[in-house]
Amino acid sequence: MHYVDGKQVIPGHYNRFQLFIRFLLEPFTGAWHHRDLIVAILRRELRERFSGSVAGWVWAIVAPVISLVTYTLVFGGAAKLPDGKPASSAIDYALFVFGGLIAFNFFTEMAYRAPSLLHEYAHYLKQTMFPAEMLPVISTLRATTYASIGLTLMLLCQLIFSGTLHWTVLLLPLWFIPFLAFLLGITWLLSAMGAFTRDTAYLMISIAPVLMFATPVFFSHEALSPDVKLLMYANILTGFIEIIRDIVVFGKLPNILVVAWTVFLSALTFWVGYWFFRRQQGGITDVI
Amino acid sequence: MSSDVIIKAKHLAKAYKLYDSPGDWLKQGLLGSPLLGSSKTYYKSFWALKDITFEVEKGESLGIIGRNGCGKSTLLQIVCGMTRPTKGEIWVKGRVAPVLALGATFDLEATGRENVLIGGAVLGLKRPEIIEKFDSIADFAGIGDFMEQPIKLYSTGMRTRLAFAICAHMNAEILIVDEALSVGDLAFQKKCIDWIDNFRRSGTLLFVSHSPAELSRLCNHAIWIDNGHVREAGDVANVTRAYRKATLVEQDSMSRFSAV
Repeated sequence: MHYVDGKQVIPGHYNRFQLFIRFLLEPFTGAWHHRDLIVAILRRELRERFSGSVAGWVWAIVAPVISLVTYTLVFGGAAKLPDGKPASSAIDYALFVFGGLIAFNFFTEMAYRAPSLLHEYAHYLKQTMFPAEMLPVISTLRATTYASIGLTLMLLCQLIFSGTLHWTVLLLPLWFIPFLAFLLGITWLLSAMGAFTRDTAYLMISIAPVLMFATPVFFSHEALSPDVKLLMYANILTGFIEIIRDIVVFGKLPNILVVAWTVFLSALTFWVGYWFFRRQQGGITDVI
Repeated sequence: MSSDVIIKAKHLAKAYKLYDSPGDWLKQGLLGSPLLGSSKTYYKSFWALKDITFEVEKGESLGIIGRNGCGKSTLLQIVCGMTRPTKGEIWVKGRVAPVLALGATFDLEATGRENVLIGGAVLGLKRPEIIEKFDSIADFAGIGDFMEQPIKLYSTGMRTRLAFAICAHMNAEILIVDEALSVGDLAFQKKCIDWIDNFRRSGTLLFVSHSPAELSRLCNHAIWIDNGHVREAGDVANVTRAYRKATLVEQDSMSRFSAV
């Protein structure tokens, strides 16, 4: 460990390009290096979430079941799928909405928690040599477990009511990777900002519900006019929701342009978030 | 640089920024950036450390003494890498184990056993290592069947025992002990001091205490930090003597906590 005037000195000599590659790899090498710590804290977080309730894990399953049933009942009759044909059943539309909700809820869970994340772990950060940049990794993994429950349920539902799954669901892991990268980037960004000011939390609480209407959760952006539709893609969630609907509900390959754009935005968010967090890290233990 | 030096601090200084209101923080962030060529600052600086220079060689034990608020804890945090110095240079080689307040990170709902697993991971041990050392840790802590009980049922002394037991099994090269021992009973304090004595044969120790007697017992060198400066350094006997003498004369005034 070597610091001069508040800046870390990296041993060895690297040129700009090598330093850049090093930076790109850093989130991965860091996570691998701290893998035992990540697992230990994750285990603790998951236990904490359900300890004290009698039914425990059952709640994690009951909540999405209830919402799925509600959407089926509420939207069932009149709904039309984006291709203009009436939905073959209420279940189809419910699954269509549910796919959007899984992605959106996954995002809001991170957006609400991230600003207070470092405050929650203040005692660790101030009294042990805890790698703060791994906290967003841990909380994203934690949220992944809930999202996986929702996804499993969605697949089960489809299997039960249509009797078969599209082969494209095999692409789901490929959907997860950029989505996790995007969420991690957002969490790094928001948690570093949240360490300095509590306003970040209030900001997220105010804008997340508005964002829901700028995201095609309950409707399909396919029905919008071409200009508005293009604008919708500025919201990265639009891409993710379109892709998950394509591969799970409709069983078709997603538009390659949409995929490329979404992956690009995710990667950008991931490294910008990480860069921002590392930049602020020196000051974080002093302010929380 | 001699290869024996394991910690090197040169002109360390640490400023904390104090803001009168969160609004000032925002102004500083938006307007105070040097990119805009602004030199106005919206905060007051509190210099916890002003100019600290010292070196510790491998196998040496350095005592650190000083009054509350003199900057001891900040210095230790910098040595551990928890916070960065505003100015100056710090160079540390080797695995550092801070016995600062590990007990503070315990999860009250979890059992002692679970906390050993988490605490060990936080200190950087690999899971198989912790499991292998578990019996030895339980033995050192000496809290018997309480190991399977939630930490919330523990007394303060029992928590300290468990925390120290985990730190003692880290195989660290540099041990940092910050007034952690005063909570345990005499028998446990003796056990810890014996263990530290044993550790000193191979490792390097930074020991913070208000007790000149403990300091003389465990350290060969000492530095006395006063108001962010090293006021006295050298042989432990000389430093503690000067410190004791000064406390008889100087008043306990609070003016030293004010920011400039």
